[in-house]
Amino acid sequence: MNNYGPKLSNNEKEFILAALRAEQRIDGRRPFDSRRLSITFSKQDGAVEVQQGQTRVMAVVTGTLGPPFPDRPTEGSLVIFTEFSPMADPSFELGRPGELSVELGRIIDRGLRESRAVDTESLCVLAGRAAWQIRLDIHILDNGGNLVDVANIAALAALSSYRRPDCSIGGHDGQEVIVHPPEVREPVSLILHHLPIAVTFAFFADGELEALDPSVKEEAVMGGRLTVTVNSQGDVCAIQKGGGVGVRSSEIIRCIRIALSKAVEVTNQLKKAVPDSHQYPYLGEFFPISEVPLVLMLGLFFSGCYWVDANALERARRKVKRHPDHKNADFSKNRTDVVSRDVEMNEVGVASANQDERREAVMEILRTEDMDESTSSEEEDDDIPDNLGGKKQEAEIEAKTQVVAGKVRGVKSEGIGKDAPFQGGPSLWDDGVVNGSGTGHKHLDADAMNEFDQVSEAIQKTTMKKEASPDGGPSSLANMAAASVYAQMSTVQPVKDERPLGPVFAQGDLKPVPTSLLDAVKKQKKRKK
Amino acid sequence: MANSLKPDEARIDGRTANQLRPLLCTRGLLERAHGSARWQQENTIVMAAVYGPKNVSGKRENSERATVEIIWKMKSGLPGNAEKEAEVIIRRTLDYIVLSAMHPNTGISIIFQAPALCAVAVSCAVTTNGVVVLDPTKAEEKNFRAHVCLVFPNRPKSTVAGLPPPVAGEPAEHGIITCLTRGAMSVNMSSILDKKLLF
Repeated sequence: MNNYGPKLSNNEKEFILAALRAEQRIDGRRPFDSRRLSITFSKQDGAVEVQQGQTRVMAVVTGTLGPPFPDRPTEGSLVIFTEFSPMADPSFELGRPGELSVELGRIIDRGLRESRAVDTESLCVLAGRAAWQIRLDIHILDNGGNLVDVANIAALAALSSYRRPDCSIGGHDGQEVIVHPPEVREPVSLILHHLPIAVTFAFFADGELEALDPSVKEEAVMGGRLTVTVNSQGDVCAIQKGGGVGVRSSEIIRCIRIALSKAVEVTNQLKKAVPDSHQYPYLGEFFPISEVPLVLMLGLFFSGCYWVDANALERARRKVKRHPDHKNADFSKNRTDVVSRDVEMNEVGVASANQDERREAVMEILRTEDMDESTSSEEEDDDIPDNLGGKKQEAEIEAKTQVVAGKVRGVKSEGIGKDAPFQGGPSLWDDGVVNGSGTGHKHLDADAMNEFDQVSEAIQKTTMKKEASPDGGPSSLANMAAASVYAQMSTVQPVKDERPLGPVFAQGDLKPVPTSLLDAVKKQKKRKK
Repeated sequence: MANSLKPDEARIDGRTANQLRPLLCTRGLLERAHGSARWQQENTIVMAAVYGPKNVSGKRENSERATVEIIWKMKSGLPGNAEKEAEVIIRRTLDYIVLSAMHPNTGISIIFQAPALCAVAVSCAVTTNGVVVLDPTKAEEKNFRAHVCLVFPNRPKSTVAGLPPPVAGEPAEHGIITCLTRGAMSVNMSSILDKKLLF
C-alpha cells in the first residue's frame, strides 16, 4: 500500500497472508498483540526516545516565552513538528515531507492539540503579553513499522517529562515577567488532561484479515490502515482511515473497542514509567539489568503496589551534585563503579529516626558512590557500629528494606538480621578502608535535598495508610526511598491514586474494559461459525 | 569560572587537564539503515546512520568515485549555518577516509542526529594562561580563550594492507586531516598542542 519500507517478493507476501489466516504473524505475535515498548528518558527534561520493536522515535520538547496569538490572548500554544529523518528509511528524503509524514503529523496534532490534552491556558503568564509556546519535535529514527503509534507515545512521554522554568510577575509596575532559572526555582511540568493513545490496525486481503501494530513487512503487504486515537476514559479523540480496502462498519466498531483496551494498557505503562525505562541509556546497552528479581522482591514485601515515577527519581538524582575526587577517580572503572555500588548499598541501608540521621545516611550513600573500589561485605559487617536502640519491629522492617534496596547480585543477606542496622554516625570509610575518602563530606544541594525529601514524604504518605506501625514504618521506608533513589533501576511503586510529582492527570479512574481482547477475538470466531 | 587553570588542578567535573570524558560507542542500532552507530562522551551524544552505495542521479553522479553526502540534523529547529558548516567539514574529512574510488557512480549518505550537545573527534581548549585542556564540555568551550579540533588519521594497517611510507621523517599517523580552530592562540601554542595530542 505504501511506497516506503522494503520491497517484498510475491512469495514473501503470500507467506505473510497465509500466516495471518492461521492467526499467526511472521514475528510470532498473535493478530492483536503489540510489540514490546521501551521508553528511555534522557538527562535533559523533555527529551525521550521510544522504541517499539524495531521502530525508534525520538521526541524533544522545548519552550519559549513570547506574545500569545492575538485571537487567543489568554492561552499559550503547542506546535508539533514531525521529521522523517533520512536515517529511518532509504526512501525518506530530506526536504519535502511525504504523504505519510503529513498524515502522521495531522493524526498526532488532532489527538494532542485539538482534543485539548495539553492545557494551554495554564501556559499563559501575562494575558495578551507573555505566554509559553511549547514546541514538540518528533524525529523518526528507524522505520520498523507503525510509526504513528510510536510517535504518539514518544510525544506523550516527552510532554510528560518536560519541565518549563517557573516564572512570576513582578517589577515596579507589576507588568514584568521574571523567569526563574532552574537553580533558583524548581521547573514546572505541563498540565495534561488526558493521554490520547493512538492504536493502528492493518487490514489485509480485502478486509478479511486484521492485525494490530503492523511491522514494516506487514505494512508493505497490507491493503488498508485504520488509526484510532482514544484515551483511557473511553473518549475517542481521532479516527483516521484514509483510503485502502473497504472494511465493514461492524469491524470498525470492534476495532475501536480493542483500541480502548490497548489504550488502557499503554496509559498504565506510561504512567508507571515503563519498567524498561533506563535512567542511564548507555548503561542499559552494556549492562542489561534484569528488573525481574527486584520486582519479585518488591512484590513480596509490599502487599499493594508502589510505583515512583522513574523520571521523577532520575530528576531528583540529577539534582544532587556530586563532586568526584579527581585525584583518585579512575575513569577506566567508571562503569563498574556504578554497578558495584549496588553491592555496597545493601550494607548502608539505614533506619534513622530523625532528619539529621537521615541526611547523614544520604551523605553516606553519596560517599559510597564516589568510591572506586568496593570492599567485601564481610568487612562492612564488622565495621557497622552497633549503636542503634532498635526496636525489633524496626529491625525486621530494616532487614527487608535493605534486601529490597540493594541489588540481588552477590548480596549477603544473612548478616543483616544478625547485626543491628546502621544508623548514621561517623563515616566507615575514613579509616582508610577505601582510598581517597579523606575529602570528607560531600557538598549537598539544599534544593536537591528538598526535592528528595518531597519524594520520600510522598512515599511516606502513601505508605502510612498501609503501615500499621507509625514509628518504624515511615522513617525506614523513607530511607528505603533514599536508598532507592540512588539504586540503579529502582522501582519503588507509589499508590496509584497519589502522584505528587509529575503532570496532573484527570482523576477519573482507569476503568477496566469489560471486553477483553481475547473475547473480541473469540467473538469473531463465533460470528464466522 | 575557571578561566585560568593550574596544570594539575581539577576542572568543574573533576577531570584533570589531560583526561577525556568516558567514551561509549554502540553499533548496529537501527534496522533499516545499512550501518549505524551512537557515540557518547558523557552528555554529548551523536547518532549516525549510513546508506550506500546507492543510486544517485544526474549532476551528483561522479564516474570516478562515490559521492559522499552528509546530512546533519539538530534536535530542534530549522537547519542553519552552523549545521551547514558542520556538514562541509565532515564531508571533507570523510572524503579522505572513505575509499570512494572503489564505488564509482554511486552515492553514500551519512546522516547525523545530535540529540544532545556536540563535539567531534579529539578537541581541546586553551585557557587564558596558556594551559591546554583536553575534551572540553560545552560550558568550558564558551569560557576558554580558544578551542581546536583536530582529526588524525588512524594507523592504516587496520583497513589496508601495508604501512604507507613515513612522510618527511614522521610516521603517517602524525598527519592532520582536519583542523578547526576558534579563538586566538599564539603560534607556540599550536606546536605545544601538536605534541600533546600525539598519543
